Amino acid sequence: MTRLAGGLIDRSKPISFSFNGKTYGGFQGDMLASALLANDVQMVGRSFKYHRPRGIFSAGSEEPNALVTLRSDAWQEPNTRATVTELFDGLEARSQNHVGPLKHDLMAVNDLMAPFLSAGFYYKTFMWPRAFWEKIYEPAIRRAAGLGSLSMLPDPDDYDRGFLHCDVLVIGGGATGLMAALTAGRSGAQVILADEDFQLGGRLLAERQMLDDQPAQVWVDSALDELRSMPNVRLMTRTTVFGAYDHGVFGAVERVSDHLPSASGRVRQTLWRITAKRSILAVGATERHIPFANNDRPGIMLAGAMRAYANRWAVAPVQDNDNGIAIFTSNDDGHRTANDLVAKGVKVFAVIDVRQNAPRMGDYLLLSGSMVTNTRGRHRVSAIEVTQDGTPTWYPVGALAVSGGWNPNVHLASHHRGRPVWDEGRLAFVPSEAGPFGLIPAGAARGHGSTQAALSDGVEAATKALNQLEVTPVTPAIPLALEESQAQEAFWHVPGKKRAWVDFQNDVTVKDIKLAHQENMKPVEHLKRWTTLGMATDQGKTANVSALAVMAELTGKAIPETGTTIFRPPYTGVSIGVLGGGDNRHDFRPERRTPTHSWAEERGAVFVEVGQWMRAQYFPQKGETHWRETVDREALAVRSAVGVCDVTTLGKIDVQGRDASEFLNRIYANMMATLAVGKTRYGLMLREEGTLYDDGTCARLGEQQYVVTTTTANAATVYRKMEFARQCLWPELDVSLISTTDAWAQFAVAGPNSRELLSRIIDDFDLSNDAFPFMACAELSICKGLRARLFRISFSGELAYEIAVPARFGNALMERLMEVGADLGVTPYGTETLGVLRIEKGHATANELTGQTTAAMLGLGRMVSQKKDSIGAVMSRRDGLLSDARRLVGLKPVDQTEPVVAGSHLFTSGASQQTDTDQGWITSACYSPHLGCHIGLGYLENGDSRMGEIVTAANPLQGQSVDVEVVSAHFVDPKGERLRD
Amino acid sequence: MTDLSSITALGAQSPWAEIAGALQMSEDTNLGLASLALPKEGAQPSPFDLILPDVGIATTNAGYGAFWTGPNQWMIEGYGHGEPDFAAAVKAQAPDCYVTEQTDGWCAFDVRSQDDGALDALLQRLVNLDPAALQPGCVARTGLHHMSVFVIRRANDHITLLGMRSLAGSLRHALHTAAHRLAT
Repeated sequence: MTRLAGGLIDRSKPISFSFNGKTYGGFQGDMLASALLANDVQMVGRSFKYHRPRGIFSAGSEEPNALVTLRSDAWQEPNTRATVTELFDGLEARSQNHVGPLKHDLMAVNDLMAPFLSAGFYYKTFMWPRAFWEKIYEPAIRRAAGLGSLSMLPDPDDYDRGFLHCDVLVIGGGATGLMAALTAGRSGAQVILADEDFQLGGRLLAERQMLDDQPAQVWVDSALDELRSMPNVRLMTRTTVFGAYDHGVFGAVERVSDHLPSASGRVRQTLWRITAKRSILAVGATERHIPFANNDRPGIMLAGAMRAYANRWAVAPVQDNDNGIAIFTSNDDGHRTANDLVAKGVKVFAVIDVRQNAPRMGDYLLLSGSMVTNTRGRHRVSAIEVTQDGTPTWYPVGALAVSGGWNPNVHLASHHRGRPVWDEGRLAFVPSEAGPFGLIPAGAARGHGSTQAALSDGVEAATKALNQLEVTPVTPAIPLALEESQAQEAFWHVPGKKRAWVDFQNDVTVKDIKLAHQENMKPVEHLKRWTTLGMATDQGKTANVSALAVMAELTGKAIPETGTTIFRPPYTGVSIGVLGGGDNRHDFRPERRTPTHSWAEERGAVFVEVGQWMRAQYFPQKGETHWRETVDREALAVRSAVGVCDVTTLGKIDVQGRDASEFLNRIYANMMATLAVGKTRYGLMLREEGTLYDDGTCARLGEQQYVVTTTTANAATVYRKMEFARQCLWPELDVSLISTTDAWAQFAVAGPNSRELLSRIIDDFDLSNDAFPFMACAELSICKGLRARLFRISFSGELAYEIAVPARFGNALMERLMEVGADLGVTPYGTETLGVLRIEKGHATANELTGQTTAAMLGLGRMVSQKKDSIGAVMSRRDGLLSDARRLVGLKPVDQTEPVVAGSHLFTSGASQQTDTDQGWITSACYSPHLGCHIGLGYLENGDSRMGEIVTAANPLQGQSVDVEVVSAHFVDPKGERLRD
Repeated sequence: MTDLSSITALGAQSPWAEIAGALQMSEDTNLGLASLALPKEGAQPSPFDLILPDVGIATTNAGYGAFWTGPNQWMIEGYGHGEPDFAAAVKAQAPDCYVTEQTDGWCAFDVRSQDDGALDALLQRLVNLDPAALQPGCVARTGLHHMSVFVIRRANDHITLLGMRSLAGSLRHALHTAAHRLAT
């Protein structure tokens, strides 16, 4: 065991877990990484490209190496950082990216091929033969690449989402964050303090720091007690703020039950959208390493991490009988690790400090002006080569800690293109002033990393935020901390010819950066893409600045001149499940149901999504084995008897006002003001640039009241457009608009028996052709007093009506129509039949109104009134639209057994089939049971003068070419006698 | 009286009701709704002695209520007046205004709780509104799981969600799921 005394683990609560099938023990408070180290498990994975042995490198979310797969079956989760995985009883973890046992990975052969796998190798290597790329190279590379694997099973966990609002969001619960929260909390502001750790305190938990002459943990506990007592403060642990978005909005993921053996009905994670008036970025800093030859072996880790493992988790990466730990540093903080290890009774071999005359800060061997120039050890580091004054010497070591200084965690501050700025004094990028509005970086996150500075900065940042919010700050006493020495020297990598890793997770070395430079990939953006540096799941948290420094050295420029490192959300990986917020599959998006949904469902209807609506597509009956059989039956029933279709989904807009007629005259391209009360008119709306926007009917129910019907798809957009016109274009008009789409259940009742059917439910109303002719409308009552609206309109070409009742009675009306119409052959029909009937009649719908078609193309050019102005009317008369000679025609196959396929393009018979000979396309097609063959509608050049011509409908996607005859678009009742009957 | 039977927005014969933890949820199928718009330069009426409120406010008086829905436009509520034609009753109160029946355009879900924090916690899960800003007598139109709803805080222990009738099933699902997650 490598356990030390002390720490913040609860030794009274032992935990059993497994790694690669072997059972180990840990304690409550352990992370998986600390528990593995405590069990002397150093090698935990293989690297991405070279399959090199890798160990635990850090103690936080920046971890590039210790990526493991957790759990199994559908709960399997790859690429989880062992350093932030809380240990729980029964945890199962497995290493990744190896073929065969972890220690005998067959893919380790890649390491021998390293000279061939340099930066940009796949851009250069897999060039020839061209055809091999998709079939051989890419699949092979994809198989070899990647780390863990997905279970390929649906995510079985539940997730949640929510919204929070606060005055001050404090991101990070270390010294700075706690002081900021105390200040804002005491001042009465609404405060949220979020931290990704399960325990608040940040680096204070990882140090032997004294505050006011007491261990820092005492102060942390006291601060937390006070914060918990404040009703205006919400503490959110296990919560990662992963992104800063517009208007003070932050995305955060709270891990609700990831740390539990079983979720027990709880959600796994919650996605929070936090809106904060001000935010304080108190997320600390990440230590950077120093690249040197073979610096990636297990047992080599960041010095601050090694200190954290010793102090917080009471574990060291060596056993008592191992060789001592070496610390390689360019700064005083490395010495702090040495002192802490010594204090914990861990054997320290030496501190190797690159600085000449490095300060002696403790009782250990100090090698000044020295560098680690190489390492040995197959599965963990066993020896290091130290070069002092040009003389290399090998020393056996148990582990190696590395410290190259600290980089402020600028990630969230750069999410709004807040490009960090270089602070030469601190040798680091710090957040700029141009970050997200209201975000105030503080403490180590802006380079103020000493404990005393971090505490003070928390108060200062909160005070600034409160002042901006005009809240009087009440500042707490700042505890006294011993000032740490922070001297450092700019030292970015150890020169050498061997591979020195910069980005561990993507296997990018100093040599790769040199090669990128040599190949002129000098800009940071090119460097990143050529080498893949910083593109792994850790986003280069421990690599980017070092890489910039190496490139700067190569180009002879300063680091800020070379480029900056900027980050995008998310700060750490966010599962797709939590982004979905817990709703998936059927519940992924809202669903609109018509009043007869349940009725249709009970009759076995097949539904189709139409926007958000679920509409009955067809109603199969027993014995029907193909949808076409059903649709043919439904369509023939309408033509021969009567059918009923739920058309509730059509948009309905109530228009009232003294100027309602004038308003509609300006909205519709055709005349509406002349519409008599009790009449309905088909109308066309144009876009501002003159093409068709929507079509539908407009019924005048009273002198000052109309009902506008829109297509289902455009219900919302037409209403929005009309409301815009009312409020912004013509505010002088007295008109009121309100949507009533959902308020009315509406049914198309179509077929020669429709009048008779309706007469059986209508109360005292004359439905005769004279009293209620084609295009009439009325408000009336049905079924003994239920108010209803009746419109004599027809989409099918048959004698037809649309009847509307308050939505709650829609279901009962459908049942009643079926009941009283049984002897009339009444048949429910769905959208598929609706489509067949309207194609047979030559009526246009969304397929024809594509946004690029004109009224003239539909043969309705004369409907665009010249006697008045309306939206789009003037623009519809521009040359570009007038010269479009394509016209809507009907198309019938010459060989009636041939199909007609929508989307096929039309060509003059015998002509070559190319873009420049294209004559139009088929917009809609169906099998017409009425005609006994497939038919289509389509736009054809000069189509109205080509009746009887045989043209070719080409469907190159399926290699089809069908001869079709150009006919009238009105396949059924071209004179319109049936609907007027 | 018609001989047709009505169904609820959820397609059932009777209103939905459910308890999850401290939250009591129920469907109000008897809420009459009608929109009322002022004619140009028309005087503001006081239907049912209601003061037609400004943006974000819901007023009530003796079994009726009103809240703002747009410039010079309000929704009038009639508690217990769910059978159509509520618009006719409103029109009688404000004959110069443009009134449209809305009773069947919406579904209404009431949520009540004696637990002070439970309603706020539910609101946090459902809508991007600060519960502290949604005090009794306040109303807001907002998005809820990609649906447009009115959230009315009728009292400290009572909110009403008004959603589109056709989306009642999805709204109920959102409410049910959020309440049960909180109760777990």
